[in-house]
Amino acid sequence: MTSDEAHAPGAGGAGRRKKPPFDTTVANQARIYDYLLGGKDNYEVDRVATEAVLAIYPGLAFNAKANRAFLGRAVRFLAGEAGIRQFLDIGTGIPTAGNTHQIAQAVAPECRVVYVDYDPIVLAHARALLTSNEAGATEYVDADLRDTGTVLREAGQLLDFTKPVAITLLAILHAVPEADDPHAIVARLLDAVPPGSYLALSHIASDLLDVATRQGITGVSDRMIQQDFSFRAHDEVTRFFAGTALVPPGVVRVEEWRPEPGQDEAARSSLWAGIGRKR
Amino acid sequence: MDNEGPDSEQLLSGLEGSAGDSAVLRMRLGTELRRLREAAGITPDRAGFEIRASRSKISRLENGRVKLKNRDVTDLLVLYGVTDEAVRSKFLALVIRSNVPDWWGEYSDILPGWFENYLGLEAAAATIRSFEVQFVNGLFQTADYARAVTGLGRKTATDDEIERWVKLRLKRQELLTRPDPPNVWSVMDEAVLRRPVGDAAVMRAQYQHLIEIAELPHVTLQVIPFARGTHAGESGSFTVLRFEERDLPDIVYLEQLTNAFYLEQRSDVERYLEVVDEISGEALTPDETTRFIEQAARET
Repeated sequence: MTSDEAHAPGAGGAGRRKKPPFDTTVANQARIYDYLLGGKDNYEVDRVATEAVLAIYPGLAFNAKANRAFLGRAVRFLAGEAGIRQFLDIGTGIPTAGNTHQIAQAVAPECRVVYVDYDPIVLAHARALLTSNEAGATEYVDADLRDTGTVLREAGQLLDFTKPVAITLLAILHAVPEADDPHAIVARLLDAVPPGSYLALSHIASDLLDVATRQGITGVSDRMIQQDFSFRAHDEVTRFFAGTALVPPGVVRVEEWRPEPGQDEAARSSLWAGIGRKR
Repeated sequence: MDNEGPDSEQLLSGLEGSAGDSAVLRMRLGTELRRLREAAGITPDRAGFEIRASRSKISRLENGRVKLKNRDVTDLLVLYGVTDEAVRSKFLALVIRSNVPDWWGEYSDILPGWFENYLGLEAAAATIRSFEVQFVNGLFQTADYARAVTGLGRKTATDDEIERWVKLRLKRQELLTRPDPPNVWSVMDEAVLRRPVGDAAVMRAQYQHLIEIAELPHVTLQVIPFARGTHAGESGSFTVLRFEERDLPDIVYLEQLTNAFYLEQRSDVERYLEVVDEISGEALTPDETTRFIEQAARET
């Protein structure tokens, strides 16, 4: 049973409520991530749930930091070496230091970034705090990533889909269960962008965690956290990149994707990450 | 989780390079004193005893609410085992700098102490979030609007006093244009826009000013229209101040007629954060807000 179903008894299948209301009585993944990154936009329930997961899997803290660091390296690669000027950042999260448009616009000020999230608080914070420099532009789309029609239609107001776009899906697809066919969702997004576009993605790994740890995390998630939590293996994560050529080093642990000097050498995450270029 | 702060040497060198607002400096030095005290395993009572003061004095000192005295800081550093002469002399040099009078010193004749505290906190904040139910946020008021509001609240004030209040308010607004300005994010009830303060010309100019100020990248304005029905803001107006430092708690500022409350307990603060988060989610987006204010201006 997923946490969503737990909070929407009787609702099932396509009619299942997906959008989280503003609710501080149940933990929320965006606020948990904020807490793990040392932010102040989290509530008691989020901290309690985070500590419950950390008690089972202390590595969650490093996962969050390593994922955030990957965002930095990925966007610098995309705006730099890959020459991308349009970004579709899905699963924005609560703003913290080094957000997509800031990183991209530091490389190329004219970069345009569309942030997509379905959490009303994330959106309010994003609109308030993720403001573009004058040369570029940012826009915010209130949509569930499963609703690719809305995501693409709204993003199309700012982004030109005849030119390459980088789609970033960092630590978000675990919230989409198999029943919602996440691979088809990513395929629909990639279909909308031209060859030469990129997909950057990170995902919690089923094959980097033992069964007991996975069950422990799932247990806490089902009891205490609004969104679903699905682990996926290396081959399932790699399958998201169908139709793209993987940029070296391919799908690797998130901290191993083109590491930069000064990174914590010892710590190991349980996140797979990769970047692919659409053929 | 890794909650360790930088060591004293690092923190102090960071401070030496900072812009040097006394209030900011006091808060940072206070934070550093707290960190040193906790690292040395010393209770606030014990620290208070050492400098002939109470535990609440230590708390105010560590929160940057009171001026630091050289003698107190010297004694505390010894108590906390800071023996490095270089660190100590740097610390004391910063204490002296933190005691340079704040710009609002020249308004001390009209300024109540509880509001003076606020000015220091506001200057030190990285993010200022407010919910307004009656008046435009003081940081966004035009001189004429401020004059009208000030007159309402102070029936016995002389024109001269009112002018000084207006000047003080405009001076405060300079934080919006300083080099590293705070993010100011204000949600106002539609009533704020509809309630005439001064005549129509004052209101039109105020609308225009709001529209312009909303274009600043670090300013966010949102209106919650009557049409959205009731909202989470049953609390009345309030302000939440957030500081860059991870150790410094958010502070909720509640202004009353003759005093103000400063809430710092996480459980209290969190209630207000919930309200302001929820209202921000319900309110018009910043773009919609600008159009809404433009419409209000046309109707005035």
